[in-house]
Amino acid sequence: MTASVDLADFLPAYLAEVEELLDSAHRHLLAVEASARRGAAHPKSVRELFRALHTIKGLSAMVDVEPIVSIAHWMETSLRQADQAGGRLPESSVEPLLEGLRAVEQRIRQLAAGKPAAPVPAGLAERLESLEPAGATQGSAAAAPRLLDEEKALASRLGPAEREQLSLGATGGKRAVRLDFIPGADRAARGLTINSVREQVAALGDLVKVIPVAGPTPGGGSLTFALLLLTDATDTVLLDAAGGEPASVVSLSRPAPPAAPASAPSTEGSAEPLEEEPEEARRAGGTLRVEVSRLDEALERLAALVVNRSRLQRAVADLTAAGAPTRELRAILQENGRQLRDMRAAVLRLRMVRVGDMLERLPLLVRGLRRSTGKAVRLELDVGDTELDKAVADRLLPALVHLVRNAVDHALESPEERRAADKAPEGRVRLACHARASGWVDLTVEDDGRGVDAAAVARRAGVAQVPSTGDALLELLCRPGFSTREEVTSTSGRGMGMDIVRRIVVDQLGGELHLDTRPGAGSTFLLRVPLTITLLDAIVFECAGLRYAVAVGSVEELFEVEPGRVVRPAGSQGVALVERRGAAVPLLPLARLLGRAADDGAPPRGLLVRQRGELVAFGVDRLLGQQEIVLRPLEDPLVRVPGVAGATDLGDGRPTLVLDLAALGAARRSGAGGREERAS
Amino acid sequence: MPEVLVVDDSKVMRDMVVACLRPYPGLGFTHASSGLEAIERLSLNPYDLLVLDLNMPDIGGIEVVEFVRGQDRLRQLPIIIVTTRGDEASRARALSAGADRFMTKPFTPDAILSEAKRLLEEKRA
Repeated sequence: MTASVDLADFLPAYLAEVEELLDSAHRHLLAVEASARRGAAHPKSVRELFRALHTIKGLSAMVDVEPIVSIAHWMETSLRQADQAGGRLPESSVEPLLEGLRAVEQRIRQLAAGKPAAPVPAGLAERLESLEPAGATQGSAAAAPRLLDEEKALASRLGPAEREQLSLGATGGKRAVRLDFIPGADRAARGLTINSVREQVAALGDLVKVIPVAGPTPGGGSLTFALLLLTDATDTVLLDAAGGEPASVVSLSRPAPPAAPASAPSTEGSAEPLEEEPEEARRAGGTLRVEVSRLDEALERLAALVVNRSRLQRAVADLTAAGAPTRELRAILQENGRQLRDMRAAVLRLRMVRVGDMLERLPLLVRGLRRSTGKAVRLELDVGDTELDKAVADRLLPALVHLVRNAVDHALESPEERRAADKAPEGRVRLACHARASGWVDLTVEDDGRGVDAAAVARRAGVAQVPSTGDALLELLCRPGFSTREEVTSTSGRGMGMDIVRRIVVDQLGGELHLDTRPGAGSTFLLRVPLTITLLDAIVFECAGLRYAVAVGSVEELFEVEPGRVVRPAGSQGVALVERRGAAVPLLPLARLLGRAADDGAPPRGLLVRQRGELVAFGVDRLLGQQEIVLRPLEDPLVRVPGVAGATDLGDGRPTLVLDLAALGAARRSGAGGREERAS
Repeated sequence: MPEVLVVDDSKVMRDMVVACLRPYPGLGFTHASSGLEAIERLSLNPYDLLVLDLNMPDIGGIEVVEFVRGQDRLRQLPIIIVTTRGDEASRARALSAGADRFMTKPFTPDAILSEAKRLLEEKRA
């Protein structure tokens, strides 16, 4: 019996886990830095950072990536010193530690690309080794509180930092309580475990420590978890979080509760600080990491099913038309359709990533910008639990990074300018996000900087008329030639590379981009993007003898075009108008936009679409129905055309173009050069 | 069927341990991602072998060993520590707390398999 396992097989899983650990390490290092700037300690983040590096080191050793083992080892050593100094890290230590994280990250990328990891960067070990811990926490030993005297058995199992935390928390106005959770087989079967309780309780306050206590319990068990926390929550809420009785709550600042059972083992003075400190619930708990390629594979299989179902549907329709008895077959088909929709929802859910996770590196970006620009900036993220399809998130991130970078680089004034303008010296950039109904997500990137100077932008763009609305201003900012000139952006406030942002949001994702800006007060960009771009419900129609599809969500209304209600007013340069919702809406014959007909006669059907806030109708020949499609993006830049979101197979094997009508109309309306401009 | 409780906050590490031990015929595996979860599982179910990391969230491996050895029911449970902490002090503390074996990461699949085999067979005897 010999082991035949090759640990190198774990490389893909290793890479995924290390990436996650690096994200956590970055987050905690930034938190430590923020505390260091205020002269405060951040023991919890120092410990988390240490743990991330420690795990990276162990895993890297297992898969034999020596350079990462070495880097992690040096970082771990300097963090151990910081931990022993009560979680204090001098600001000067942050840069070498970030350098260490970057070095690990670089080597992870090399491994992911199939290359060997480069050796440890020259001098890094020395820079990490020479880091000095900051001064030790003042008076932590003296702060051992009277608070816990009565709970001696438990108090002996707390480290000095935990005692201090409980004591300071209690004097800071919060209640220090002990919440007892008693696990049991029946509770575990209901999903009520120490992991779930811990997670719930951590959301109700600061969980300082969880101590297992052995001994008979009210429910007949032999184990109690004592959760020590600082909280404002009521006893009822706390009990609820622990699954109700036999859970109990005792206030630690009240007179003595009964002592803990004597059988509780004592660890007094034995455990090292890094092993006995409390932790936040790890987000990865109860979740499974899956490689993206496997999710893509599941989507591919689903796509094949969706296409096949369309074929089946067509075959059954043909049979029915030929007079065959298809009643049962149709019932099965209906059930099959429902199952496929459920399956689709399940696969899409698997592909969802939290927006908060996607944005994990933004604080790091802002930190770098703060240093390079010398501006004081506060980044606020308010993204809740909103989720997006991985494919959307991957495309969207560069646009958001671009907007945040622009905000700091160009929109925010220097501290001196802000003071002169009667503003707080620290600028603010806020990124918020919330899901809307019907499969769309709104994101806003807002700053309190100088705002966009519309007159300066118009001047630079060579436009006589100063734009009067945010969106008109955005049109100018998004001109490709315009935005590449640095000197323009310094006067405009927010111009740099906006064409890239619009290309991602509007052309690639089929979303919307809006701007609201007030001179001197700041700007807000609104990005509206679909939750997913891979599987969608589409309207299929015919135009000039060919079939096309558009996303249902992008069409506001389908209508019959009555030729008598179409007008061509003088001065409209031949553009026909049709009355919809009490307004005259341009009616664009789609066949002509697609270059497939020169005829200007009014087509019989119209699709009403909102294009940058304005309604536009597209005339088509025939509506063929609605069906679920799998969108295949046209990746080749030679065939990528504005207004074409991708292609799909409707089940007969013939490729069908999926149109983005809003982008198509905008590209064509921007003039003869429009297409080239937008496609560049 | 002998059941092994594998405790590590790294999922990849737990998977590696399971892959290393899988050649032992008839073993079943349960995962725990923290010391607290391990203690909860140990109080609710019987296990034949505990493979335990030292540095974990909540409470560390040493505290888990001490807890286990403090329970009559669990006093004989074989424990293998697998840790990145290769220093002598950690080894001495783990063994004096009651661990049976102390293995430093990186370990080879053969090494952990033969340690597990020996402990399971000693227990059976």
